[in-house]
Amino acid sequence: MSLLDIFMFVARVAFAAFVPLCFIAVCVWMERRGAGYFQDRSGPNRAHIFGFRAAGLVQNLADAAKLFFKEDVISGHIEHKFYFVLAPVIVFFTALVSFAVVPFADTLVLGGKSYIMQGIPLDLGILWFLSFVGFGVYGIILAGWSSTNKFGVLGALRSAAQVISYEIPMGLAIVSLLVVYGTVNLNEIAQFQGKLLFGFIPMWGAVLQPLAMVIFIIAAFAETNRTPFDLAEGESELVAGFHVEYSAMKFAIFFMGEYVAMFASSAMIVTLFFGGYQIPFLSTATLISQAKPVAFLLMVIIPVVMYFFTGWVRRSNVSHYPRENDPRVFEATVYIKCFWGLVIILEVLLLAILFSTSGGATAHIFVVLLQVCTFLLKITMMIFVYIWVRWTLPRFRYDQLQKLGWQMLLPLALLNIFITSAFVVALS
Amino acid sequence: MSAKVKTMDRKGASFQERLYLIEIFKGMATTFGHFLRNLLDNKKLYVRHYPEVQPEIPVRWRGRHRLTTHADGTVKCVACFMCQTNCPANCIIIEAGERLDGKTEKMPVKFNIDLLECIYCGYCVEACPLDAIRMDTGIFSVTDNNRESFVLSLPELLATPGAFSEEDYKKGGA
Amino acid sequence: MFAEALFFGFAVLSVLGAIGLVLFRHPMNGAMSLVVTMISLAGLYALLSAKLIFALQLIVYAGAIMSLVLFIIMFLNIQDSDLPTEKGRWLYQLGGIIVILPIASFLIKIVKSIPGSEATIVGSGFGGVKEVGLVLFQDWLLPFEIVSILLLVALVGAVVLAGKRRMGK
Repeated sequence: MSLLDIFMFVARVAFAAFVPLCFIAVCVWMERRGAGYFQDRSGPNRAHIFGFRAAGLVQNLADAAKLFFKEDVISGHIEHKFYFVLAPVIVFFTALVSFAVVPFADTLVLGGKSYIMQGIPLDLGILWFLSFVGFGVYGIILAGWSSTNKFGVLGALRSAAQVISYEIPMGLAIVSLLVVYGTVNLNEIAQFQGKLLFGFIPMWGAVLQPLAMVIFIIAAFAETNRTPFDLAEGESELVAGFHVEYSAMKFAIFFMGEYVAMFASSAMIVTLFFGGYQIPFLSTATLISQAKPVAFLLMVIIPVVMYFFTGWVRRSNVSHYPRENDPRVFEATVYIKCFWGLVIILEVLLLAILFSTSGGATAHIFVVLLQVCTFLLKITMMIFVYIWVRWTLPRFRYDQLQKLGWQMLLPLALLNIFITSAFVVALS
Repeated sequence: MSAKVKTMDRKGASFQERLYLIEIFKGMATTFGHFLRNLLDNKKLYVRHYPEVQPEIPVRWRGRHRLTTHADGTVKCVACFMCQTNCPANCIIIEAGERLDGKTEKMPVKFNIDLLECIYCGYCVEACPLDAIRMDTGIFSVTDNNRESFVLSLPELLATPGAFSEEDYKKGGA
Repeated sequence: MFAEALFFGFAVLSVLGAIGLVLFRHPMNGAMSLVVTMISLAGLYALLSAKLIFALQLIVYAGAIMSLVLFIIMFLNIQDSDLPTEKGRWLYQLGGIIVILPIASFLIKIVKSIPGSEATIVGSGFGGVKEVGLVLFQDWLLPFEIVSILLLVALVGAVVLAGKRRMGK
């Protein structure tokens, strides 16, 4: 085992473990600011450190500090304290581990050795994801049941029944996908989607399997207990559902688990239907051979984008009432300077690529980084869709939810399997 | 005259609506329009930057109470107990005493309003025959960290000035 | 070496889970120990390089079936007072151990007679989805179909039984 092997191992495990955790902050921030803007209000804009509010990200820090120092209550009436403590850990852990098999870049070839870019080098792919999504139910059931609280039990019942019944259309939607891709390995699935259909359409799952995409996305919303299927925590009827009795860090872990699950299922949707880490029209081989033109193009695009972005920051980050020596203008200036500093660093790095040997190790690493960025960008967009739907649709009624799952999605998924299989058999 | 009956069309039965997804996308387009408008220019947000920007309180707004005075600064109230009798929340407690300055025979010795009980209905203002109690201070936010300080006493009620001019108050329909 | 340690860990866990299932009085504890057994069995499958079986064990047994069991236990909300008093419980267990002892010693003898071999993880290919699928649908197609018909019969039976009671009311 060379030093490089160890480094790559640590890097990929760290990526799979820490990126979802970092995205919790991004998700919460997007949820709050997004909710604000969807509803014509402002969202968190007060919490700050020395006047720097980072567009509301500091609010997350404040919340984390609050939750961390709150009293961690375990009520006296709770009999099974072990399960009570175990439940949030299960919810969080299963959500985190389910991301581990998602590839975030194409296999990196360095010095004749290939390194798989996923947390756990396992070719089970979707099956792994399905099994850990199923495990998440334990956390919910144990939390609701061990709370010994009628709201908790009702919320857990609803949530567990919902997750169990939506696993079936989800699994069936995946079956029809597998018929098309012919593999369960997520890396192979992502590589498959790098090809072009008829020479000009990216062969994404969304193009090949639109029905499966709709079913999978709906089921994924239900699996993560997000609106419009979040009736497990219907505030008006169940207070908070299965986590009523939880406080402080234990509640925070539930909260974080929800966002990690959202991140993991977004990653799954992106990998299965939106080409994973693939940049449309640019497959890995093309990117490696054309690394220099791509780097040059990026050197041109990044400052232009940053110019417009900083203009937007300048316009948005001002106080909206008359104020002498508006501190937010100073704040915006600091941000803009930071962003331009970042751009200069990026430009220097891209310049280094321009002067490196073509097709060498630098090009490979450059492509991997590009693909990681693409993947994270796609996931962020998918998370935005989650938030967008949450602030658009009202909650389902419980019987409507089960009806949709069993009477609409299940037959549709079965029909989709038949049609897809017929097509694949006829075409092969 | 018979009542006007307007029959509303029942929505949601057509095939397009029952497909559900199309309507979802329409709704999402609407919300995204709001999002984009606010993201591009956050001056368009329908929010007031409270507490820096205070709301404009209209004359008829029922704020915290005050007791009015005669021109010479003596209390107008004659302790007739109309407001106390009328109060649905039982938050006014008056103790009457003899008045010696010759204006009237009675005056309040104690006039307590418990703001934690008060529901700001304004019945006390309506009931007062002498226009001695008003809710025109424009104070809409009363905060403190102990319960006792929410019970207003006679000097406090007398000390608070009205937020509006006499003409505006009269025009407001009181 | 590492695989060996894992094997012993999983083996001990699965046996402990099974013992817990029998000995715990509260149904939730019993069900949770069964989950532990299921998961450690999945680990044993993984050590045998049976990747597909590993995933299926996790999805179907440890995931779906056990969560349904937990779901129903939660639904019934059994308290300690609802459980029957088991008099002479230890007597029964002692009797059971005495009955099982000869069979167990016989089994241990058989296991000892099997030639030992190093537990190694076979490379890619063996036990994957494609390989198991090919074997299942080429060599064992008829048994596979018979089993699926059996499952269908059970499914139809469940629907019929559930429907009958509603008609009776």
